[in-house]
Amino acid sequence: MERKSEDQSTTFEDIDWSRVEPTPKRLTPERLVTGIGLVLLGALFIYDRAGNGVGVVEAWDMAPIEWVILIGSVCILGYVIVPLCIAHEQTRTALAGVLRQPAALAAAVYLGIFVSVAVFGPLVTGYQELRFEHAFHPPLGATISGEPKPIDCLGRETALDFGTACHGSWEYPLGTNERGHPMGYLLVEGARVVLYVMIFTLAFVVPLATVVGVVAGLRGGLVDSVLMSYVDMQLSLPAIIVYIVGYMYWNPSLLLLLVTFGLLSWGGIARLVRSEVLQRREDGYVLVARSLGCSRRYLAKRHIVPNITNTLLPAVFQLFALLIVVEAGVAFLGYHQVELYSWGSTISESINAAVPATMQGRTTHPAYQIWWVSTLPAIALTCTVLSLKILGDRLRDALDPRGGW
Amino acid sequence: MTGEQSRESGIGAEDKEDVLLSVRNLQTHFPVTEGILRREVGRVRAVDGVSFALQRGEILGIVGESGSGKTTVAHSILQLQEPTAGEIWFDGNNITALSERELRSFRRRAQLIVQDPNDAFNPRMKVRDAIAEPLLLHGIRDASKRRAIVEDIVERVGLSADDGDRYPHEFSGGEKQRLAIARSLVVNPDLIIADEPTSALDDRVQSDILALLDRIRREHDIAVVFISHNIELVRRFCDRVAVMYLGEIVEKGRTKQVIEDPAHPYTQALVGSVPTLEPGVQSFPSLLTDTVPDPSDPPSGCRFHTRCPSVIAPPELSIEAETWTALAGYRFTLEARELPPEVEEAIEAERTEAIAAIREAFDIPKTTGDDSIDAAMARSMEALASGDTEAAASIASDALPTICETTVPDERQVGARSVRCHLYDDSDGAE
Repeated sequence: MERKSEDQSTTFEDIDWSRVEPTPKRLTPERLVTGIGLVLLGALFIYDRAGNGVGVVEAWDMAPIEWVILIGSVCILGYVIVPLCIAHEQTRTALAGVLRQPAALAAAVYLGIFVSVAVFGPLVTGYQELRFEHAFHPPLGATISGEPKPIDCLGRETALDFGTACHGSWEYPLGTNERGHPMGYLLVEGARVVLYVMIFTLAFVVPLATVVGVVAGLRGGLVDSVLMSYVDMQLSLPAIIVYIVGYMYWNPSLLLLLVTFGLLSWGGIARLVRSEVLQRREDGYVLVARSLGCSRRYLAKRHIVPNITNTLLPAVFQLFALLIVVEAGVAFLGYHQVELYSWGSTISESINAAVPATMQGRTTHPAYQIWWVSTLPAIALTCTVLSLKILGDRLRDALDPRGGW
Repeated sequence: MTGEQSRESGIGAEDKEDVLLSVRNLQTHFPVTEGILRREVGRVRAVDGVSFALQRGEILGIVGESGSGKTTVAHSILQLQEPTAGEIWFDGNNITALSERELRSFRRRAQLIVQDPNDAFNPRMKVRDAIAEPLLLHGIRDASKRRAIVEDIVERVGLSADDGDRYPHEFSGGEKQRLAIARSLVVNPDLIIADEPTSALDDRVQSDILALLDRIRREHDIAVVFISHNIELVRRFCDRVAVMYLGEIVEKGRTKQVIEDPAHPYTQALVGSVPTLEPGVQSFPSLLTDTVPDPSDPPSGCRFHTRCPSVIAPPELSIEAETWTALAGYRFTLEARELPPEVEEAIEAERTEAIAAIREAFDIPKTTGDDSIDAAMARSMEALASGDTEAAASIASDALPTICETTVPDERQVGARSVRCHLYDDSDGAE
């Protein structure tokens, strides 16, 4: 076959291999971004500890959970966002593939709004005082009559046969709960909690599950036995018990909840990943890459993990959904950090359920009369979980070049 | 023919310049472990003492049934599987003794083509990136250079340069195998190990791929280890051939000689299994049994003796060769628990009828010419007819001993080839 006539064209015979040096370990953009981010966070932490508040909102103390979430965010930025930007071509193709389906588009739009609300919402709503005089305000378009009734009705009041009905007002467009907190504020606070759960899961739980599964599958032998025995052991440990025991020592907190439930829930994914890796390990392209002398790390990153996304992605999105629901459930039962207005606790506080919770001031009125307090967070919770699951399945299909669409 | 022989064994000092790859007594065993402490309860001797040498630019065929350890040889050479024992010399370096870092140059100079083109490429990677991967891994950092090399090579294997932008599933099996050849070629190797590169392709595509591989080999003086179960392909394509059976090389030599005039009974059986249209071509007796023995528990002595149509009779025995083969066939069929259906049926029937059916099925005469064997056979068939296959087999094996099961054959030079078979115990290569 004839050689190309262009001057710049190189053929494989042109390389003088005695002069090619091995690629040195470089500072990858991923490492650079993560490194800088962590250094900045460290500086911020020292500054904060020196007595200068760094809370975004004035009275917002930086609790340990906030630092953990910030570290997680930096890791996600470095190892998820940066690679997505570097491979922007593939990202765009995959994204276009995902958004082609109306349900997935809706889910993506919802999650986009959800994330922006969770991130920027607190800046808008700020810190809300307790206003018992404004408790039980109905949302716009709804009325409340009889008990309970707002002490100061800000909206229009209409006369009924007995007493008056209070209409919703623009002051509290989504109504208020029994402490006079606007529902909008509670929804934003709840969204923040859910976002924390997602960031924690994505930054710490998912990598842990994937790394353990890949290492067990690729290494095999004793390493595999030890890791999988540990996973078996962990799977037999109920997270709720560990949480309650921890609760007795350190008081309930979101961090404790995330650590116990998050770090005890990845065993299933690790096993799933391992069994997938075992199948991929003997594939031809893996053998060829190994015969070329690539490192295990390279093999895992380029060949193994991209080919197990069919299994991994739905499992990860399922884990998101699971941990979000677990958090809401624990908050619903009242074993949560009271200062955090989780969607679960907001629902719980309104429905007057006979759950033991001495720490909560419960309304003594039937839930249907103040339906908005439970319905709005319930809708938000359902939409979030549903969107995650739709998007997870869709993303799996879109990432497969053989095309499930 | 002394030069030939020293090349064969791969240790001839005067030929050292020419030898690219020399495998000496390679053994690769897979331990079978049990329990959490991973106690070794046995081992599969996938490769058990294989030696051969390969010159620059030469094609060596390794042929054998599936399970004979061909692929394990390939993986051991490429250090994908750590050999249990033995040495692998590549261009003057013992690569079994090198660290992964020192293996760098070898990892570039020896390339692998895998069997199934459908999993030869990462389905999530564009073909362009897959073919550029060897360059990237070996330190070509300039992306435009990589791109130019890949485009050039994709054209040279007969596809168009912009095919690189497609994903593997968009190509046919033959095209994928062309791309696999391109990928193996891109780092300018000296050795390509092709593990059944055409077994998944149909005949016409198979010929195209072999022609391409042959052309590339000639153009760039690349040595090829061609692994195949198809002796016909090996005959057409290879300079020399090594025949493997259960982890051992039973015969090796020039392809022309080995395949046109096979010396080892196993090679004869392999050659005989190729259908031919030519009349008058030498035909060989078929195998005694079809069952390939379990490599974790290989037969004693010569590993092929349980299936060998030429299994050797004890010297003191004076019965006809044909009769002996029938008796041996009876014995090893029983030992393999591979009874023909008519015998299975006969066992259900009445005793004398059953014995007659068994005699007929195995072609065993009433009198063999040796009274003690006649008596033993009668007892054995009696046991078989009553359904006790195990007893029947043990009586038969006691009555019909053979040197093949007791003594491991040494490697013998027969003409310019080497054979491991007791049939050639007298010859010492002086031919």
